[in-house]
Parts: sequence; C-alpha cells; structure tokens
Amino acid sequence: MTALAILIVIGPLAGPAAAALRARARAAGGASAAGAVVSLVAAIALLAAQVHRAPLTGWAGFLYVDALSGFFLLTVAGVTLLAAVGSVAYLSAEEDAGTLSAFQVRLYFIFFGLFASLMLASLETGNLGLLFVLVEASTLASAALVGLEGKARSLEAAWKYVIISSLGVTIALAGTLFLFYAASALPLTSNERLTWPYLIMHAAALAPQPLRLAFLLAVVGYGTKVGLAPMHTWLPDAHAEAPSPASAMLSAALLNTGMYAIIRFLAITQARLGTTFPHAVLLTFGFASIVIGVLFMVRRGNFKRLFAYSSVEHMGIIAVALGFGGVLGLYGALLQTLNHAIAKAVLFLGSGDVALRYKTREAPEVRGLLAAVPVTGGALLLGSLAVLGSPPFGLFLSELTIVRAGFAGASPVLPLLLLALLAVAFIAFARTTAGMVTGQAPAPPPAYTGRAARWAAAIPLAAGLVALLVLGLWIPAGLNTAILHSMAVIR
Amino acid sequence: MSAVEKLAATSPEGVLLDLSAVLILLLAFACLGSKLFNRYVAYYGAQSVVLSFAAAVAAWTFHSVELWILAVLTLAVKGIGIPLATRRLLLRRLPLARDTAISTGLSTSLIAGGALTAFAYLVTRPQLLPHGVVAAAVVPLSTAVILLGALAMVVRRHTVAQLIGWLIVENGVFLGAITLVATFPFIVEAGIFLDIAAGVLIMLVFVSGITRELAEASAAELRELRG
Repeated sequence: MTALAILIVIGPLAGPAAAALRARARAAGGASAAGAVVSLVAAIALLAAQVHRAPLTGWAGFLYVDALSGFFLLTVAGVTLLAAVGSVAYLSAEEDAGTLSAFQVRLYFIFFGLFASLMLASLETGNLGLLFVLVEASTLASAALVGLEGKARSLEAAWKYVIISSLGVTIALAGTLFLFYAASALPLTSNERLTWPYLIMHAAALAPQPLRLAFLLAVVGYGTKVGLAPMHTWLPDAHAEAPSPASAMLSAALLNTGMYAIIRFLAITQARLGTTFPHAVLLTFGFASIVIGVLFMVRRGNFKRLFAYSSVEHMGIIAVALGFGGVLGLYGALLQTLNHAIAKAVLFLGSGDVALRYKTREAPEVRGLLAAVPVTGGALLLGSLAVLGSPPFGLFLSELTIVRAGFAGASPVLPLLLLALLAVAFIAFARTTAGMVTGQAPAPPPAYTGRAARWAAAIPLAAGLVALLVLGLWIPAGLNTAILHSMAVIR
Repeated sequence: MSAVEKLAATSPEGVLLDLSAVLILLLAFACLGSKLFNRYVAYYGAQSVVLSFAAAVAAWTFHSVELWILAVLTLAVKGIGIPLATRRLLLRRLPLARDTAISTGLSTSLIAGGALTAFAYLVTRPQLLPHGVVAAAVVPLSTAVILLGALAMVVRRHTVAQLIGWLIVENGVFLGAITLVATFPFIVEAGIFLDIAAGVLIMLVFVSGITRELAEASAAELRELRG
C-alpha cells in the first residue's frame, strides 16, 4: 500500500528526469505522460484497495491516505494525465515554431512534473504543517510555469500569482498555528497535535476560540489558492498567461488541492463547533465567488480569462455545496469537483489549440472554429455546454444535487439565488464561446506538425468529454462508493 | 505541563522573549516608515537577527536541539542570506534607491499601522490565551507584525517592497510559532525554511525579469515616439 502511495508521487517525476537528460519536447512530454499513467493507475489501485479498509498511515502520520485523499488523488492524477498528453502537442508546437527555446521547454517539463508531484504529495499527508509546506512548494513550481514565456505580461502575472498566493498560504500557516494551539490541552505529542486523524479523534477537547480563528484563517489562506473571492485576483492573470496545459493544471488540479485543505479544516471545525459557523463562512465566500465570477464572465475578451472566471464561479459553487452540507451537499461538492476538473482540463487544452492556430487569446478575433477545425471546435462547444451544467454531462447532475441540497435546508432563498446566478453564467459564457465556434472563416494554418502531435492534442479532449458524458449518465459503482466513504470522513 | 507554561512571563527568558518581540514590532514599524529600498532590506535583516535571538532564547529554555538549529538557520538564511542576495542581485544591479510607488503618505501608513497593532491586541489578548505566560504577550505582537507586513504590501506597489512585506509577514508567523508552540515538528519548520528560500529565489528572478522587460518596453516606446 505504502509503495502505491509513493508510486503516485514519483510517477510525474519521469518528465523532469527526461528533461534533465536534455530530451526534446516530444520525448520529455512522452515521459511525463507515461509517468502520469503510472500515477493514475496507482491512484485507482490505491483507492480501490483502500476504500473498505482503515486509512493508510505511516511515518508518524506524515503519510495518511483515507478515502477523501484517495478521491482527490484520483482527480488530480487524472487531470495530470490529460494535461501531460496535451503538453506533448502544445510544447512541441511551440518548440517547432521557435516561440520557446529548448531550455524553456526543458524548464517547462521540469516544473510541470514537480508541480504535479508536489500536489499529489500534499494530498497524501496527514500532517497539516507538511500540507502547508507542500502547498507552498507547489505554488512556487507552478509560478515558474506561469512566468515561463518570460514576456513582461507573463512575468507580471507570475509575480502577482506568487506574491498573493504566498501571502495567502502564510495566512493559512497562521491558521495551522492556531489549530496547533487549540490542541495544546490534549494529551498528544507535538507531532500528533498537527496530525489530522489525531485532531479529529480528539476534536471534542479542542479549545473553541482558537479553533474558530484557525478555521477562518485557513479558509482565507487556502481560499487564496482556491480562488475564492475576494482573494481570487491572481487567478485570471495566471490562467491567461500560463501555457495552456499548465492553465489546465492550475484550474483543474491546483484549485482542488486548496479546496481539499479547506475540507480538512472544515471536518475538524465541524466536529467541535457544529455546522452553523463553518457553513456560514463557506456560504459567504462561495456566493461572493459565484457573483464575482459571473460578473466578470459577461465581458467578452480573452477566452482564457473567461475560463478562469468560470473556475472562480465553480469553486464558489463547491464552497456553497459544502456550506449547504448534509448528504446531498457533500455528495454534490465532491462530484462537482471531479466533473469541473475534467471539463476545465478539456476547455483549457482546447483553448491551447485555438491560441496556437490563431495566434491570439482574444475571443472576438476567433470565428468559425467548428467549420475550420472540427475537433477543437467541437470539443470547445461540448466542453462549454458541459461546464455550464447542460445535460447529459456530469456537471448537470452534480449541480442539480447541490441545488437540491440547498432546498433541503431551511430557506429556499439561497438555492434560488444559486439557480439565478447559474442562468446568468450560462448566458454570459455561451455568448462568447458560441461566437467562437459558429460562423464561417478561413481556416488558419495547422498548429501541429506530424501525426503524433495531432493525436496528442485530440486524445485528451476526446477522453475528457467521454468521461464527462459517462459521469452524466451513470456514476460507476466504485466511484459512488469512493464518494460515500469520502463523505464519511468529513461528517 | 506543556512547554508554553514553563516559559513564565516573569522569568528572565520570558522577559528576553518579550523584549525581542517588541523589537521585532518596532523594526516592522521602521520599515513601514521608510522610503529607501536599502533601509527596507536593512530593517528586515535586523528583524531577522532579533528573531534568531528569540529562537535561541527559546532553544535555551527548552533545551531543544531543533530550536538551536532553527535559530542558526534563521540567522543564516533570513538575517544574512536574503538581505545579501536582495542587495547584490536587485538593488545594485537594477539600481534602485528611493521607493516612489507608495500609495499613501508615510504618516498615514504609520497611523494605520498603529491602529492595526491596537486591533491585534483587541482580537488576540482577552479570549484566547491564559495570562502569565509569555505567549500572552507575544501572540498579539506577532499578530501585529503579520498585519504590518500585510499593510506594507498593500500600500506599496513596487515589487521589491512587496517582497519585503511578505517576508515581514513570514517573520511574524515564525515569531508566533517559536513562542506559542515552541515544539512545532522540526521537519515542518525545516520545510517552511526551504519554501521561503526557494520563494525568495524565484521572486528575485521575477522581479529582475519584470524590471528588465519594463525598462526595455519603455525604451522601445521612446524610440517609436521619436521623430
């Protein structure tokens, strides 16, 4: 079991190893993808083996994998695989076009692998201090990806990202500190006082006031990484300026890792203080994020920024779902996490194809995608429909579950507000993407040279859409069990 | 008896820790009240040296080898390494002297800093902590240092000033960590150090990149507008 957990973390390091051996984009990308396959298979095996047993622990709690970690590992490893395959196509196109130097390509694969590996590691630790260390380290690795192109715009975006996220995560560290202090009356060693399973076991004896402060600081701190408003300001810039497969990783993997940290704090806080206070906090930040996300989606412009604001909105929806709570709320939140991750990976990878072909990231300059580039255009259209929660895709099911969770609560005002905001989001988002895919326009020169690159660009789009469709029609029994066991960890 | 209770506020060690914390706060204020990049770095370096002294006092009180290592690390990385790197790689190369990108007057930011310090006392002192232990004095002080660092990041728009602001926030958290919870696991503390060092390194790369790109951009503009 421990071997599987280690394999998950080591897998993505195949890319950096290849890049260190001076491999070119195609080979390094291939190594990254192979490593990601190893990670994903190990994550599935671990989840399958672990779900009915006691959590996997080791090294004095520094290693701790329960169903919740297993579920997020599955999500992040899946996204890493999609993004790694997409990277093969994107980076070899950039290398062939001379946009990125061989050195920059190597840097990309080194930091891509480190980023994925650190995120997966942060999902496997039970020590909240180590969680902070790994999350901050993954911030640094991903900031290098954002600033990779070295232009003034990307450097500024990277700066904004690294300084805001570092400050945010430092606030989360202060929250961790207060949690540690809240546990000072417990008969635990200093190591155990930072270790999640011990804390949840002794939750009833935690000091309430420091715990309250700890939860608030953790939500603000890790919420900065999640992109909860008003701490989201780094997010659109970073997503717009990063190479597209890296944007996919940011949106579909990094944000979820932050949410995972918040869920860990939520579980402890809920066990001691009841649900009223943490739910109010999550609902406030959640609705603020949805409103901000939707408002900024109305503007037509850079399509990667549009997708980024849609991520703010979706993270808000997940926070709201956690805030609604109950069986439906938690189920909806976890399902939404998986669905959104896949859908956003498809959209950002598709946006990479568009940006390579049209040499622009401005939506009004792109027309007639469906006629000119059927694969990318189709993926973008279907991906947009999926991310907006249209049936038959998975997000329809998860958003419906979340709204139902809201109606199960005391007041129908909040779920009605959520529905209204989702409707506005649909119009705002579809207005831009519909303009991009419809119409007639001359086809631009192809983005990729060679059959391998074309397949590498198309496969993740198709695989992601198929997964979304399957999740919309039928939730596999294994996944259902995994989600139910994850919920048991939180409640 | 927990580690915190051993460290009574009236013991010599407790007094030393309290004094260090006050000095750290004053140095944060000094940084907030300055306009020269050189001074920002100097005050930050001095603050880190005091912080490492505080860590040494805690290490001596608790007979903790790990805290001794942390004190040495603080001195080496934050007290000497980071100020030196910032000076060599940024201030001299770019040449930076006076910070002109401050959105409020110095007196306004000092008054705001005073208000934040009062606020820190208000929120942390009464409900949270048992009286008579040194942590009861240090926690509001470290909270105030965190808030002052954040304030510096808000009112200053220059990248170097924001970097120093973040480092001051980090120092505030660390001050809380060594006194409030003297026994934070060592692996975690060491990891935090690694993060800070790597973070500063990557930020220095970005800052010099941005400054270079902007300089080139403005020069290009000048050329285009000519004639």
